[in-house]
Amino acid sequence: MIIGISGLNNTDNPAPGVGVAKGLLEKHTLIGLSYDPNEPGIYQGLFSKVYLMPYPSVGAEEFKQRLRYIKEQTGLEAVIPTLDAELYLYIKYQKELEKDLGIKTFLPSLSQFERREKAKLAQLAEELGIKSPKTYQLFSVEELIKLLRDGDELKFPVMVKGNYYRAYKASNLEEAIEYFYKISNEWGFPILLQEVVSGEEINYLGLGNRGKLVGGIGIKKLTTTDIGKIWNGITIENPTLLKLAREFVEKTQWNGAFELECISNGREIYLIEINPRFPAWVHFATAVGVNLPQMVVDLMEGKEVEPQLDYPSQKMYVRYVDEVVTDFKLFRQILTKKEL
Amino acid sequence: MVEMVIDENNIGYIPSLGTSFQLNETAKEIILMLKQGKSKDEIVEELAKKYNKDWREVFIDVTDFMEKLKIYGVIQ
Repeated sequence: MIIGISGLNNTDNPAPGVGVAKGLLEKHTLIGLSYDPNEPGIYQGLFSKVYLMPYPSVGAEEFKQRLRYIKEQTGLEAVIPTLDAELYLYIKYQKELEKDLGIKTFLPSLSQFERREKAKLAQLAEELGIKSPKTYQLFSVEELIKLLRDGDELKFPVMVKGNYYRAYKASNLEEAIEYFYKISNEWGFPILLQEVVSGEEINYLGLGNRGKLVGGIGIKKLTTTDIGKIWNGITIENPTLLKLAREFVEKTQWNGAFELECISNGREIYLIEINPRFPAWVHFATAVGVNLPQMVVDLMEGKEVEPQLDYPSQKMYVRYVDEVVTDFKLFRQILTKKEL
Repeated sequence: MVEMVIDENNIGYIPSLGTSFQLNETAKEIILMLKQGKSKDEIVEELAKKYNKDWREVFIDVTDFMEKLKIYGVIQ
């Protein structure tokens, strides 16, 4: 299959595309869909062709035109989008992409996607019978000050989060205001203010097939970067986390990859966030025998897939730094011609 | 139920949380007794007898240790 994959950043803030590509490299022709010539994944030898994509904010027509062009050039048959900011477009136009362009995707519906949004998480958690931290949606710094200085709903420390990206722990009002501007300047509004829950952060990466959990692994991040990206991790066996993943998929009739971010203190689990896509550590699952990107491709092709919910416990994931030396003309080419 | 498994190097590991702890001999003994289903009173009695210590002193230490185990999610 000829598959387009987005999210080629592979710096200290890696995107999932490289991990997805590693799971598909042996059997498929891969096309990189990049937003920036600086993305290291472009130069790692994973993709037969790479195309620069218009930013999602440019609009749907540019996006569809670009995919049509890539289809004509490469015979693109499917796309696995991996970035939050572009998912809305892919989800909204998924039927059109398949019908008009012959490009398959494997994604949730718009209503499923919206049910797990950060601002609506508390409601979904309640429906799933699980706890979630108090979360407030903010559109101005005045609201933040009012909540933190004048209200008693939240106590420091608090998490200041972007709707798509970034999350910082603020220990006082000054820090909270700083993070509010830092995130809103880069990613816009709303900003979310969230209660901090103490315990161990555990995560579940899963794949839903029209309401049925068909694959996944549970992990704990052992060490992370300053912005919470995994360095080392370990596979865990947590029946409560698996049950939550199953219930989430069933309740929302979820279709596609997802990541549950939870905090557990050993007694109960709090649901912190649900990402509607593969996480950047997706290759961890592939390496322990649960190749979720390949399962996505099988499902896109209409094949039956055997559920893969078993995996070895206590396998350790180690991320490390690597280097590539390449010709600068490749960078110039993608910058000017928007393809490589 | 105490979920912790202890390896040959006295590393206690909680499979559902992925957390590890380095245990000393006494910590290991207490966790093994908890896994056998022994109560705090039984553990205190056994340790006091084994180390020839006043049970009151042992009771304070065991209580303190068990509070820490609760905080770390090792016991409920």
